Amino acid sequence: MTTSSEDVLLQVGQVRYKKGDGTLYVMNERLAWMMDHRDTVSVSHRYTDIKTQKISPEGKPKIQLQVCLHDGSSSTFHFVNRLGQGAQVKDRDDVKELLQQLLQKFKCEINKELEEKNRLLSENPSLLQLYRDLVMTHVISSEEFWSQHALQYMQKHQSQKQDIGVSGAFLADIKPQTDGCNGLKYNLTADIIECIFKTYPAVRKKHLEYVPHKLTESEFWTKFFQSHYFHRDRINAGNKDLFTECAKLDDQELKKDISAGIEDPLVDITSFEDKTLDEGYGTGGDRSCGIQSGNIVHQNMIKRFNQHSIMVLKACQQNTLCHSGSERLEQSGVPEKQASQSNESSPGCSDHLHTAKKLRIQEKLVYDDLESDSKMQHQGTELSLSRVERYLHGPMPGSCEDVLSEDDMHAVTTRLQREAESWCSVSRPQPTALVNPAAAVSALGELTPGGALMKGFEEESLAQLVPADLERELKNLYMSLCELLRHFWTSFPPTTPTLEAKAVRMHEALHRFHSARLKPFEDRVLREFSPLSQHLTSHLNQMLNSAYRKFATWQQRKMQALR
Amino acid sequence: MNEEVETSLLVIVLDTNPAQRLLRERTHNLTQCLESVIAFANSHLMLKSANRLAMLACHSRSTEFLFPPPPAAFGTQAAMLRQVDGQYELFTHVEKTIRQSLQQLLMRDTKSEPVGSACESLLAGALAMALCYIHRLEQDLSSGRNMNSRILVVTGSADSASQYMSYMNVFFTAQKQNVTLDVCSMEQDMSLLQQGCDITGGLYLRIPQLQGLLQYLLWVFLPEPPIRKKLVLPPPVKVDYRAACFCHRELIDIGFVCSVCLSIFCKFSPICTTCHTVFRSPGPLPIKPKKRKIKLN
Ligand SMILES: [Zn+2]
Ligand SMILES: [Zn+2]
Repeated sequence: MTTSSEDVLLQVGQVRYKKGDGTLYVMNERLAWMMDHRDTVSVSHRYTDIKTQKISPEGKPKIQLQVCLHDGSSSTFHFVNRLGQGAQVKDRDDVKELLQQLLQKFKCEINKELEEKNRLLSENPSLLQLYRDLVMTHVISSEEFWSQHALQYMQKHQSQKQDIGVSGAFLADIKPQTDGCNGLKYNLTADIIECIFKTYPAVRKKHLEYVPHKLTESEFWTKFFQSHYFHRDRINAGNKDLFTECAKLDDQELKKDISAGIEDPLVDITSFEDKTLDEGYGTGGDRSCGIQSGNIVHQNMIKRFNQHSIMVLKACQQNTLCHSGSERLEQSGVPEKQASQSNESSPGCSDHLHTAKKLRIQEKLVYDDLESDSKMQHQGTELSLSRVERYLHGPMPGSCEDVLSEDDMHAVTTRLQREAESWCSVSRPQPTALVNPAAAVSALGELTPGGALMKGFEEESLAQLVPADLERELKNLYMSLCELLRHFWTSFPPTTPTLEAKAVRMHEALHRFHSARLKPFEDRVLREFSPLSQHLTSHLNQMLNSAYRKFATWQQRKMQALR
Repeated sequence: MNEEVETSLLVIVLDTNPAQRLLRERTHNLTQCLESVIAFANSHLMLKSANRLAMLACHSRSTEFLFPPPPAAFGTQAAMLRQVDGQYELFTHVEKTIRQSLQQLLMRDTKSEPVGSACESLLAGALAMALCYIHRLEQDLSSGRNMNSRILVVTGSADSASQYMSYMNVFFTAQKQNVTLDVCSMEQDMSLLQQGCDITGGLYLRIPQLQGLLQYLLWVFLPEPPIRKKLVLPPPVKVDYRAACFCHRELIDIGFVCSVCLSIFCKFSPICTTCHTVFRSPGPLPIKPKKRKIKLN
């Protein structure tokens, strides 16, 4: 099962698995166990399949290591080194340490992928429906679904991907709830944790180090918040704290930032004064700038605020740096300068700095849209239309009835006049009935539903017969079938072996869909909504049949060609 | 008691063109149409005292208002009306005025010389006049009053493509003005007017038999548009919205539209004859036959 090319990173003998003794191998991509005196691997777990590892608590007689898989199953390995418990624990811990590192590495990958898929499904209801209809009914396999049918969603997502910045107030926004007995409860979401990591890279490092083998996730965050509030006035900071080191790292970073300064030539941060507008609103006697408020707590507080702001801003900068620079190049008019600013924060060559400065100032002075663009004015070609009157014509006047001769016209007019003469005479016959009963009844017959003039009304009422859930189901059927058909037809003409294989595969998928989804639906409609009978699915069947026909003719041709 | 009164204005356009087959074959049909339409008009007035009515006669060379009469011609006669047979005076007035006006229109017909073979009904013009009338009434409407307006065309002629542009202008104006266009065709299928009905949300009905005209009118066209939604009326017809090509002016199902000037052609041509844009012929087409030949070998 294992490929020979894989390196064995660690090999531990005398490991029992399901009452068999054997050797445990920690390899590049998998954890494997082989029974003694056999040459086939009986247990093999890819790291991507492993969710977590657990170890037996200290003091227990059995020294064990358990790996839990994503599908819910687990495997337990019992370390039975004959040299005694000390050796057993050592064996176990060696495996555990190595496994920890490897799992961490693979976890990032697998998690990203799984989360990604999950998120795609939850964000796209139509995709989710497709997944339900096609994968859960085993019409197509999951891999195929993701590689073929969800492709556009994946791609769309890639282009959309955009990291969310860090809100400056995110720490304040985590509102703790009192639990009633002198404690506070924090609700942390993945987003908040990500924010904390972004702003405090040192914490991320600690997190990787400690969770989950030294502390649990919640213990870690409890400690973090306890320490964080310690930090607020760091005078009292205890030295044994987990995060003390972080604070030191932060201080170092801060110093580095201060010494680096800000490169933007339009901002002179050194001229800022640490003062407020007091009662005089700035007009009163200026205090000398040298004197700072003596309270060290205040100073610490301001320092903390500044540090926090710096980290928040930096988190954004990291983002833009991580992203390929090309996006930004397109957006900004002065690309070189921006890149130089963020990349080389340390002043390398003054010449380079000089040009960057110049560009920055120029950027502020020059407006693209105010420039007279000589090109623009000469670009448009004039539209010269000929025979414009054709726009005003409708269709050719049909051979307008039979054209009347002038005499005919005259004759009709005269007769009409004679007819009209009677209209106003006092002696004109009183109109008996404008509509005779028979005509009225037949007109009414035509105008009642089912009558000659009400055609189409029936169709509409048929639509009313379909209940909403049935309609939804039908819609889903259409969606799934169209997706399958789309892939079926794209494999035609099958000019390459891959396309041929795809045609065959899709043809099979269509058949599976037919029996797994369409047939049950038809049966149900027939049972519950008999008046609708075949009407609803006739078009679906038609589409399927034309695909089957296409496939059959293709197969037939192929057979003939072979002969 | 400040209840808002919604007036309904009905403008009837009656086609009286002598060239209609209907009238040529049996002149009495005109009397029957006229009486039916008058009865229909009075029914409309009877529904609500605030309802208003106008009627136009559409002739081969002119269109004239039958009701309300031009003030100069009938100023004196209105006063002479008395109650007849216990009929409501307004109805008598409507009936008499319409009859007299149409009679005079017909009598005048001989005096003016018939011109050439132009014998189609000028429906588009009549519709335009109706729209103008509606517009004027809406302008005069005192504030707080509401009026829904519609035009009903009763005709036996075919719609002619020679008035195409006028029709389109009328339809879109009507749509813009919120005027519903109803058409009761007594003889021909009228694809252009169908478009007008469709655009303005009106009804198109081609009646199968003239005998029942009044019945059809009362059943289908009497309810004012806001009420129609609640009634079971004939479903809208499928309208033929095909466009005509610029080259032959024939209705086409699939055509080629110039991407620059939007001219429509029934065949692909490398140069647009309207704006002279040069197009490259679609590329991949000639390749396919070659491939097939290779396969056969
Ligand atoms: Zn043409
Ligand atoms: Zn063109």
